[in-house]
Amino acid sequence: MSTSTRGPIPNGGGLMRRLNLGTAIAGGMILGFIGWYVSGKVFGFGDGPDNAWGRDRVWIITMTLWAIGFMAGIGAFVGPIRWVMGKDQKFEDQMYLAGKNQGISRYFKFTTDHKVVGIQYLIVTMLLFFVGGILAMLIRTDLISKNTEIFGPQTYNAVVGLHGIVMIVATIIMVTGPFGNFVVPIMIGARDMAFPRLNALSFWLIASLVPILLSAVFLGGIPTGWSAYEPLGSQAPPGMDSYLMTIIIFAISSGVAGANIVTTVLKMRARGMTWNRTPIFVYGVVASVGLAIPAFPTFMASQVISGVDRTTGTVFYDTAAGGNDWLYTNLFWLMGHPEVYVILIPALAAMMEYLPVFVRKPLFNFNAAVIGIAGIVGLSVMVWAHHMYTTGWAPNLNAPFMLTTELISVPTGMLFLVFVGTLWRGKVWARLPMLAVYAMLWNFIIGGITGIYLSDVPVDVAFHGSMYVTAHFHYTLMGAGLVGAMGAVMYWFPKVTGRMFDEKIGGWGFWISQIGFNVTFMGMFAVGLAGQPRRVGSYSALFANGNLVSTLGAYTIFLGMLIFLAAIIHSWTAGEIAPSNPWGAKTLEWQVPTPVPLENFEVLPVITSDPYGYGVPEKTHEPQLESVHAGDH
Amino acid sequence: MSNSVETQQQSSKFAEWIKRPYLRHVLLIWIGLTILLEFFGPVQARLMGAPASESMKAIEDTMTLFTYAAAPVAALVIAVVLYSIVGWRQPKGAGPSDESPAIRTNGPVTTVWVIVSSLLCVFLLIWGLGEMNSLAPKATSAKPLVIDVIGNQWAWNFKYPDNGNIESNQLVMPVDQPVIFHVSSVDVVHSFWLVQLGVKVDANPFRVTLAHVTPTTLGRFDVRCAELCGLYHAHMQTDALVLSPSDFNQWIANGGHA
Repeated sequence: MSTSTRGPIPNGGGLMRRLNLGTAIAGGMILGFIGWYVSGKVFGFGDGPDNAWGRDRVWIITMTLWAIGFMAGIGAFVGPIRWVMGKDQKFEDQMYLAGKNQGISRYFKFTTDHKVVGIQYLIVTMLLFFVGGILAMLIRTDLISKNTEIFGPQTYNAVVGLHGIVMIVATIIMVTGPFGNFVVPIMIGARDMAFPRLNALSFWLIASLVPILLSAVFLGGIPTGWSAYEPLGSQAPPGMDSYLMTIIIFAISSGVAGANIVTTVLKMRARGMTWNRTPIFVYGVVASVGLAIPAFPTFMASQVISGVDRTTGTVFYDTAAGGNDWLYTNLFWLMGHPEVYVILIPALAAMMEYLPVFVRKPLFNFNAAVIGIAGIVGLSVMVWAHHMYTTGWAPNLNAPFMLTTELISVPTGMLFLVFVGTLWRGKVWARLPMLAVYAMLWNFIIGGITGIYLSDVPVDVAFHGSMYVTAHFHYTLMGAGLVGAMGAVMYWFPKVTGRMFDEKIGGWGFWISQIGFNVTFMGMFAVGLAGQPRRVGSYSALFANGNLVSTLGAYTIFLGMLIFLAAIIHSWTAGEIAPSNPWGAKTLEWQVPTPVPLENFEVLPVITSDPYGYGVPEKTHEPQLESVHAGDH
Repeated sequence: MSNSVETQQQSSKFAEWIKRPYLRHVLLIWIGLTILLEFFGPVQARLMGAPASESMKAIEDTMTLFTYAAAPVAALVIAVVLYSIVGWRQPKGAGPSDESPAIRTNGPVTTVWVIVSSLLCVFLLIWGLGEMNSLAPKATSAKPLVIDVIGNQWAWNFKYPDNGNIESNQLVMPVDQPVIFHVSSVDVVHSFWLVQLGVKVDANPFRVTLAHVTPTTLGRFDVRCAELCGLYHAHMQTDALVLSPSDFNQWIANGGHA
């Protein structure tokens, strides 16, 4: 049964035909306004001393109702309501929901097609990076010299916190959102996700939280850093309500997405796709979303407690009143350390996936790659208190946490072995995604080694809370993570958009941003070594040169990123039309036509080998695995 | 007899292997880069400034040592990257090659890699534990000076409970005498950072955390706050003065005035 022969379906969809982003915004605004007005009347709009919790109650209720109204307006509840009414969706309705024959409008609807969801994620990710990038430019401009204060400390702190959380949300979704959705189901030979409606739900929850997150700008900001430690958080303005509602909704979204992707990969791999034949990118995505499943509910719990403290006068985090602010710190980092690997692993896995394509060699030691990923996942839930060496919470645990933290260098080293081994003697087809792998390795080795310094307890005593830490995690999350995501964008661009990525403009953008990146964060390492704390809006003359260098570097990054963005927009709208498999890659997503048909495969493939059967078998070595790949039928 | 033939075969195999030009080039780049990066070893400690305590000295030595240990690892990755870009790249305009060797894995290389990285990891751990142990407070004949450090938004206060509860907004310590800090806060979490002495511990509200140091250098150093604590976090800094014992006693005798 081919999708193309079914033709238009006139009657499917029902109410869903009328719902889109516009009705979602309208629904959110109406319900949010009602919530704001009624709760304001009840609890009072002011924030005087006699009304300590009222304003937070008003804003939390408003934001909750905005989200509910938004989700209702997009049609998230139509399916369950129809089901409970005994009018479950018919085939036509499901085809309508999948976005059949709706052109561009399906991107603005509760569309279940995983490819549409992937592109929706990509757009939102880029939007968040743009906002976070502007905020970074504001920070660096304020720090250009020790006497520039383009804004006061209140605004500075608000901008720093917002930059942090916007970038965290963006980096968490940057690979698993766009490519985990668009690519993974095709890569494993499935027609869609296991739960297509949950897939749409996870995306639209993200869409609903973006305005909530950005509303912090008008509610006093998030002047606590993205970690929002207590009791500083409880002093903060209602911008904190934006923060905690963002995290709560984000945790629901990532839980839904995680369960969906893990189920899809476990249950829907094509016949013959054993674990040894499953592409490494699939492992990376499953590791990432699987790790998010335990991590983000902890974060959500920490914020629910925060919200209760803020609105009802409970004292969970108030040490003076018998609570415990270290409870927050622990819950936060129980999420916070797995979270960096949630970001990093799929970005590295994307590069491991396409590196063999450009060197036309098998991935070196696939098993080491799998064990490396698994080892990182396992250890990452046992290292959180290395963020707390200096808190005084449990000095006796510093040594065990140093052990677990340093152990991570072994599986991480295995991933380096996979990269280096795959490069070894491979004839390099020097396209831009390939060159991005080199950039990633350079950045990641710096980020990795500085991470080893910081794992050492006495050394961390010197650097905790300093710019050295800031530079270190930008080297890992931006230098390795974001570069991996940029590589993924360039590599899968022809499949996702149907056009080739312009490597000339894109190359200028990429390399300018890479130079700027290294300048920025080398400068930041230097001022960190000299003793500049993080999150300060002004600093002593001692740090002037390093900060000037960092700011100039940051402007260079921004320039490069704008050029890269221009390359994306230009290529997407006017790029050369892409053939279905421009790289000659062997994974399944390149074996289907471009644009990918609604149900991906006319006939589901049967897999007889892994997708890395490149190159000439060497006679001197042991017998090679047969490398006939299945995508060919 | 058969043994020696095998050995001969193996050694000729090795000789053949080491003669491969790419291998020699990568080895050369690796050695060159390692030497270059080893020179970088002490640079970070230099940027951290002269240590003013044993703790800071231990931290700076660790940075240098870890850099020496990490240099060959970083150099190896970068050497392969460089040779890949220069030596193994297809000529411009050429498409992908179909002549790359189909190397699936290499047992000995993987084994060596994992063993070496595990040994490095064990070394880091043992070194770190030894360092922590040597920096732990020791029972000495010298009675430590107790200083209460209180963070509040946005200033540091220092109290000397053994010296008539003198209060000061500058940290004043005698040289070469162990000092114990009892650190706390009256509002939010701050972090008491004595930069050049390598001391940092959070100042938590309504709790006391401990830190200790023995200043070894006379001079004026920096106290900063290392945990975002609100509006004027950036300005929450003051001086730390390390005085000779007689100057310190004079300062005490003057009730906390120079």
